[in-house]
Amino acid sequence: MKKVIMGNHAASYAAKLCRVQVISAYPITPQTQVVEMLSEMCASGELKAKFIPVESEHSAMAAVIGASATGVRAFTATSSHGLLLMHEMVHWAAGSRLPIVMAEINRAVGPGWNIWTDQNDSLAQRDTGWMQIYVESNQEVLDTIIQGYKIAETVLMPLMVVLDAFYLSHTYEPVDIPEQEEVDAYLPPYRPQYKLDVNDPHAFNGLAMPDVYMEMRWKMQAALEQAKSVAAAADAEFGRQFGRSYGLVEGYRLDGADVALITSGTATSTAREVIDDLRAAGHKIGLLKMRLFRPFPSELVREKLAGVRKVAVLDRNIGFGMGGIFAQEIKAALCNQASRPIVFDYVAGLGGRDITPQTIAAIVQHTLTHDQPEVETTWVGLKR
Amino acid sequence: MGDRIIFASEAEMPYLTMSLGTTLYNKTGTWRYVRPVYHDKTPPCNHACPAGEKIQGYLDLVKDERYAAAWALLREDNPFPAVCGRVCYHPCEQSCNRGQFDTALGIHNVERFLGDYGLEMVASGALIPPAQKLSAPRVAVIGAGPAGLSCAYHLARRGHGVTVFEALPVAGGMLAVGIPAYRLPKDVLRAEIGLIEALGVTIKLNTRVGVDVTFAQLRQDYQAVFVASGAHRNVRMNIPGEETRGVIPGTGFLRQLALGEKPALHGRVIVVGGGNTAMDCARSARRLGAPVTIAYRRTRAEMPAIDEEIDDALAEGVDILYLTAPRRVIVEDGRVVGLQCQKMRLGEPDASGRRQPIPIEGSDFVLEAKHIIAAIGQESDLSFLPEGVHTTSRGIVVDGGGETTGVGIFAGGDVAAGVAQRVVDAIGSGKRAALAIDRYLRQAEAPVEVEPEIASFETLNLDYFAPVERVTMSQLPMAQRVSSFGEVNLGYTAAQAVTEAERCFSCGVCNRCDNCYLFCPDVAVHKLSADGYEFDYDYCKGCGICAEECPRNAIDIEEELRGG
Repeated sequence: MKKVIMGNHAASYAAKLCRVQVISAYPITPQTQVVEMLSEMCASGELKAKFIPVESEHSAMAAVIGASATGVRAFTATSSHGLLLMHEMVHWAAGSRLPIVMAEINRAVGPGWNIWTDQNDSLAQRDTGWMQIYVESNQEVLDTIIQGYKIAETVLMPLMVVLDAFYLSHTYEPVDIPEQEEVDAYLPPYRPQYKLDVNDPHAFNGLAMPDVYMEMRWKMQAALEQAKSVAAAADAEFGRQFGRSYGLVEGYRLDGADVALITSGTATSTAREVIDDLRAAGHKIGLLKMRLFRPFPSELVREKLAGVRKVAVLDRNIGFGMGGIFAQEIKAALCNQASRPIVFDYVAGLGGRDITPQTIAAIVQHTLTHDQPEVETTWVGLKR
Repeated sequence: MGDRIIFASEAEMPYLTMSLGTTLYNKTGTWRYVRPVYHDKTPPCNHACPAGEKIQGYLDLVKDERYAAAWALLREDNPFPAVCGRVCYHPCEQSCNRGQFDTALGIHNVERFLGDYGLEMVASGALIPPAQKLSAPRVAVIGAGPAGLSCAYHLARRGHGVTVFEALPVAGGMLAVGIPAYRLPKDVLRAEIGLIEALGVTIKLNTRVGVDVTFAQLRQDYQAVFVASGAHRNVRMNIPGEETRGVIPGTGFLRQLALGEKPALHGRVIVVGGGNTAMDCARSARRLGAPVTIAYRRTRAEMPAIDEEIDDALAEGVDILYLTAPRRVIVEDGRVVGLQCQKMRLGEPDASGRRQPIPIEGSDFVLEAKHIIAAIGQESDLSFLPEGVHTTSRGIVVDGGGETTGVGIFAGGDVAAGVAQRVVDAIGSGKRAALAIDRYLRQAEAPVEVEPEIASFETLNLDYFAPVERVTMSQLPMAQRVSSFGEVNLGYTAAQAVTEAERCFSCGVCNRCDNCYLFCPDVAVHKLSADGYEFDYDYCKGCGICAEECPRNAIDIEEELRGG
């Protein structure tokens, strides 16, 4: 059934279709409607789940960790400072190997106080062990949350679906909402190997001495390595069943390209238009959309960029003291190759500043007209 | 460390840490240096009730719609819930902690609902009050007023046969001949007295001690005597003209009305006084068609009458002149034509704690009136008492249990010095005397008095309470009020009583709200299969969250005492 809904409600519908059993969240702009709608669904009985209101995001994550540990499917959603307040528990969820799925609305971090989109909040969680998938449309929000449980419950690691504040969270788009039976056929109930059980009591996550801790971390790393193929398979199966798939990354008009633009989130949609115009004007240029960020699909990136001479990475984030974070990752994925493209690092659209076709055209123009970047990181549209 | 464990394969490597079995062996209670204990306090309402009603207890039952149980609990302390639910000055509500939060609980109205509920159940046969096997009469009670009947009731409940001697042709004392029917319908009073008689208490009407039977005879026939003959003699104003026809004693006026006479009033009535008798006289005179003015020598703040009574009198068109004292009855042709009054001002507080009225020289003025009702107080007739029973100007001298200086002679109600002249104080004094007489008859020791610990407002956790408006009781429309003696206050419905009872904080008393159970981070609060909870001290770490989050101060934290 198609409905015109906001991105936040696409997340709510997805959680409902996944038959989540426990939801705990604390409201924060721009995430609020996600859990507002879920709380209404719980109240009306439409969704048979326990909604746990809490006093902070730290407690919200703690509550879903507790819930997930008992073997139920748990969901939460947050944004920006909420996610940062969760940070300790974000680590705990991953270390506990709990397949929690979270909708994370990309919002800039204060101060200066700002509620608009950029990626610094989610990227600050890069090394926690959570998988991260950045999405481009409301349909992709819904589809990725459903895929997310499948991936997370297979590799036993948590996963966040990351969407841009307002451009997705509050923007209404037509979304195909699948039938419950279809989702049930795709996503079986969660059956954990270990769970908190009063009839078989064990304590979880106690002391791990140096003689085992490292092996546990190695297992987490192995799980995320495995997650690349699991995610690809989940996406492919989703495509066969629902007619929509996204890939871990998506190459757009990359065939025979000399130059590749790399984007994530909603800037991708704008970039597609610009690429079409430039292709029409005869430029050999293509687009690579980064969807899966953790685990980082290095092999795929290398594969997609084979033969490309220059790469322009559009970062809606800033790793202070280094540069755009996606650019760092792309460089890292490429640097051990004997033949590798030049990587241009562009930072734009921080704190919700618009990334317009002109912004992207300027980035491409700069890349086309330069053999090497003049500086490590180029700030686009800076008012100086 | 680090080299001892070898994993044969990746599959052997753990992906999380997990204990092999339960961790219950780890008795974390040993970490504790303070412990929580369930300890109920006395709610301020219970403490303030002169009859000692377990108010929080019956409100809790009303919440659960267990009306019969609530009525029974209420009657453990007071045989007159339907009466008190109408005429009590409800000191419980004055002390209600909710009064400091939004509005005091409508305890008085719930009490009346329960009283009426019980009477209806008994009348319909749905509820049969338990019978009591009594001894041969061994206690004589003088006076069938609230004190005497309360005493008789509590004695009968303890198995003692009781005979009550009443001078008037009706039982009830001031309840019958003092309080007008629009406040206390006669059938309600009769029904509650009927339940006391049903216990086996005998009431001998028209039997005045000292006239129809001597005190000495009672001393001979009974092992103990309880004197509760009340205060029916009107206090005189002591002003010139007081003997004139048209100057009426307040108690006499109300007694006439109660016994079915209708005093003919023609023209304005001035009621002198500011107590409940004054209000009763004024409102009754309004119902007989007269314009009424109350003259009171202090201000409203010092008036002893119940606030609602003053409000109702004003609403019914009674005028009140404050700071006005009577000086002289103005008489023409042997009839009252007016009252000369003097304006007063307030000075320093007197022995009663109220500010004393001081005359303003040269401020005399005249109020025209055809009738003057003196309602400035009542006193007792103590002429029938034997030697050896000490009295003062305020009545018979008694101790806390109502025992007089005469052996086996007890006293309570208006006749006893130190008992406030109020219905519920009389009922309370009757109850305390019954307990003392019971001990006297059994030659038992008095229990040690324990100072109760009151759950004060400051000890509540107000985070758990939201403001809720008090349920208002409906009243008879004004037009019908002054034209009849029909009851003014119409009572709560069951739904209203429940709604009001739900406002109760249950101060100091656990009402099984589950907060401690939900908050305990160590799962060390167990629900008992019966009522309530218990702490599992094997695992309670003494963090104190349960006590902190208890909304009603029913959990104490005590220092842990350890041996060795």
